[in-house]
Amino acid sequence: MSCDTVAVIGGGPGGLRAAHAIAEVGGQAVLIEQRDFLGGAPIAENYAGITPHGEPARPQIERMVDLVTAHPAVQVRLGSGVTAVSGEPGAFTLTVRGPDGDQPVDCGAVIVATGFTHFDPGRETQMYGYYEFPDVIALQDLEAMLSAHEVVRPSNGQPPQRVCFIQCVGSRDRLIGNEYCSKVCCGVASKEAIEIRQMLPNSKVYIFYIDMRMYGYWENQIYWPAQEKHHVQYVKGMITEVLAKGDRLLVRGEDTTMGRPMELEMDLVVLSVGMEPSPGTRAVAKLLGVKQNKFGFIDAAGGPLDPVATSREGVFACGAALGPADLEDTVSSAAGAAIKAVSFLRSRAAAVTG
Amino acid sequence: MPVGGRKVPPRAVEKESATVASPISGREVVLDATWNRMFESRVLTDTGPDGFEPISALAGGESLEWCYGCGKCIPVCPVDVVGEYGPRKLHRKVQTGTDLLADPDLWLCTTCGNCLRVCPKEVDMIQIMPAVREAALSGGNTVPSELQDVFEKTFRYGNALGENPRRRAQWAKTAGVPVRILPSDPGPVDVLFYVEDYWSYHPRGHDAARAFARVATALGIDWAILGHEEKTLGDSQRLAGENGLFDALVDDVTATLAKYDFTRIVTPDPHAFNALVKEYPKRGHVFEALHYTQLLAPLAGQIAWAKELDLTVTFHDPCYLGRHNGEYDAPRTLIQAIPGVKLTEMGRCRENGYCCGGGGGGMWLDGFTRSHTAERLSERRVREAAQTGADVLVVCCPYEVSRFEDAAKSTGHDQLRVLDIIELIDQAMGAPGLGPASG
Repeated sequence: MSCDTVAVIGGGPGGLRAAHAIAEVGGQAVLIEQRDFLGGAPIAENYAGITPHGEPARPQIERMVDLVTAHPAVQVRLGSGVTAVSGEPGAFTLTVRGPDGDQPVDCGAVIVATGFTHFDPGRETQMYGYYEFPDVIALQDLEAMLSAHEVVRPSNGQPPQRVCFIQCVGSRDRLIGNEYCSKVCCGVASKEAIEIRQMLPNSKVYIFYIDMRMYGYWENQIYWPAQEKHHVQYVKGMITEVLAKGDRLLVRGEDTTMGRPMELEMDLVVLSVGMEPSPGTRAVAKLLGVKQNKFGFIDAAGGPLDPVATSREGVFACGAALGPADLEDTVSSAAGAAIKAVSFLRSRAAAVTG
Repeated sequence: MPVGGRKVPPRAVEKESATVASPISGREVVLDATWNRMFESRVLTDTGPDGFEPISALAGGESLEWCYGCGKCIPVCPVDVVGEYGPRKLHRKVQTGTDLLADPDLWLCTTCGNCLRVCPKEVDMIQIMPAVREAALSGGNTVPSELQDVFEKTFRYGNALGENPRRRAQWAKTAGVPVRILPSDPGPVDVLFYVEDYWSYHPRGHDAARAFARVATALGIDWAILGHEEKTLGDSQRLAGENGLFDALVDDVTATLAKYDFTRIVTPDPHAFNALVKEYPKRGHVFEALHYTQLLAPLAGQIAWAKELDLTVTFHDPCYLGRHNGEYDAPRTLIQAIPGVKLTEMGRCRENGYCCGGGGGGMWLDGFTRSHTAERLSERRVREAAQTGADVLVVCCPYEVSRFEDAAKSTGHDQLRVLDIIELIDQAMGAPGLGPASG
C-alpha cells in the first residue's frame, strides 16, 4: 500500500523549505522537529544577520515558519524524534516519539533535513583556549551578542577595542578528521566583522586566514566591502596559539606575507568554527540505513547531478545534512528534494493505477 | 617591555656586536655575533592598521587598503626583483604600523605601472605614490636630498638638470641642418618639437636631438622648437610628489604654447607625452600630442636609406610609452625598417617590459635607491639585454641612454652599445657612425 505523504525530518531552513515545497506542489508533508520550535540553527543559536546580506535572521526565518504552519497540507510535530523505521520505499512507517508518546507516521518518502552542528572548538588541535579564556568565543557566540546588540568582552563586560577572527577552526584538518572546507565561515566571519565595525566604529577588526574562500558573489557582497568600506583588516597567516597577556589575549601566528612570526594583542578572539554533522543527522542516517561519508554527513549517492538522492530509494536529503552548506544551498537543495520525493510517490502511484 | 602598562616593542638596531642589559638584574651581557634575526622586533605587537587612515584620506590614496594579498604584483614589480619591496608588502607594512609618509619605501616605486596591469583589486600605485609623496612633502617629512635638489632646480631653472635656460637650444647649432626656433622665427608650423630636458642638456641627448633634426629635415617635416622658452613639463616631478610644481609648470608651459601657431606637439620624452595626453586634458588643455616614434613610424617607407647597419639589437619599452599609453608598435616599426638591423626581444618586453628605474622620480634617486636594493634596475635590465646577444640596446626615452650606458659599464657589458632609435635611423641615412659614447 502506497502513501502520498512525505515525512520531513528536521525543522530548520532546509526542512521548512522542503515541507512548504511539497505542499506547494500538492503533496502532503509531516514535519518532524525534535526541538519545541521551528527554525533550526538560526533560531536556536540566535543568529543576528543572514549571510551574505546581513538582514535580521529571526523575521526571515519566522516568515518561512509561518508559510509552513499556515499550510493545511503540512502537519508539524514539535518536540518529536524518529525512533524506528519500517516498511519499504513508497510505504514507510516511522515511529515518532513526541509529547504524546510513540506514534506511527505513514509516509511514502522521507526527506532528511537534520542539518549540522558547530564544530566544538575544544577539540581544536591548536592552542586557542576556547574553554580556558572567557574572551575566546566562536562565531555563533558572537552571533548571539550581535543579536542582543551588545558586543562585549565576556571577561569584563567592556566593548572590545581589538577583535580578531581565526579562520578554518575545525575545518580542512586531517588531524581533527574534518578534511573539508566548511564553506560558510569566511563569509560569516566577514559579515560579523562588518557588523562589529558598524556597532563599534572605533574597534579594530582583523581576520587571520589561510585563504579567503568567498565563493561566487560573496566576494563583492561581503569580502570587498568589509575590506574597502568597513576597513576590516585581512591578514594572511594562521594563528597557532592564544595566550593570556595581562587582561588581554596575545595571538601568535605567521605573518605569511612577510614570512615572519607575528604577535598581536586582542580583546576578543572569535574562532571561525566549521560544520559537522549534527547528532540528529548521524542518528537518523543510521536509523534509515542511508550511507554516510567518512565525516558522518549523508552521502549524496546520485553524484553531483543528483545531489539530494541517498543510498536508499525513497529517502532524500537536503541542506547541511549532506555536508557544509549555506542557506542558499540549503533552501535550493530542499526544494530539489521536495520535487524528487513528490515525483517519486506520483510515479509509483501512476504505476499502480496504470 | 612594559612601560606604564603599555608594551613597547624593542627597536631593531643592526650591529656586529651588541651589549644587552637585563631590565631585572641590570647585568650587562656582550654579544659578539653577526646580525641575528632574534634581535629584530617582533612584527606585530602593539601595532595597528592606523597607517591606512591618513593615506585613504588622500585623493588617490584610497586603494592601498584594498589589497587582498594575492601577490600578483610581486613577480612583476621591478624593484622587488632587486630588493625587498613590492605593493603587497607595502600594504602589509602599513597594516603593521609603518608610517609610509616617513618610510624609505615611499621613494622606491618608479610608477612603472606593471603592478596595476595585473592587480585584480585595482590598487593603483600610479595614484597612491604621488598622493602620499605630496603629503610627505607638505608634512615636512624627510625627502631624499638628491630629489629635493631636482625639485629646486626645476623650480628655479625650469629643467631638472639645473642648466641655464638660455643654453636650452645650444645643441641645435651643431645639428648640421638649420633648426627653426619659434621665439626668433614665429609663424605657423606643423610640428612643435618639445625637446625636453635630457635631449636639451645631456651630451648623449644632444646626439639624439641632432639626429632627430637631420632625420626630420630630410623627411621634409615642418617643425620647430621653443628654444629658451621651453620648460620641462615636469611629469616625473609630479609623480615624485611635486604636484604643485607641476601645476605651476602647466601654467607656464600653456602660456608659452598659447603664443604660437602649431598643429601638433611631438616629443621624444614619454614622460612629457604622458603629461600631454593624460594630465593636460584633466586641466583643460587639449593638444594633439605624439611621441616622436609615432610621428616617424608612418613615414618609415619614405626614408632614403644610405647603408645597411648589420646590427642585432634589442629594444627596451619605455614604461610611459608602452604600459602607460599603449604604444608598443611605433618604435618596433621604425627599428625593423632600418636596413640590416635585426630585432631580438628580451623576455620582459611590451606589456611586461622591465622598468629602467628612471620613472616616478627614480631618475633622480639613484643614490638613494641603490642603498635599498641589491643592484640598480638599469643594471638588471642591461644584464637581460646582454643575454640576448644583441650588439645594441635600443631605446626611445631620453632617460635611458645615460642610465643604460652607466649600467653597461658597471656590469661589465662594455660591448653593449646603447642608442636611441633616432640615432640608428640617422646612421642608416648616412650620418657618420657614432664613436664611443661621449660621457
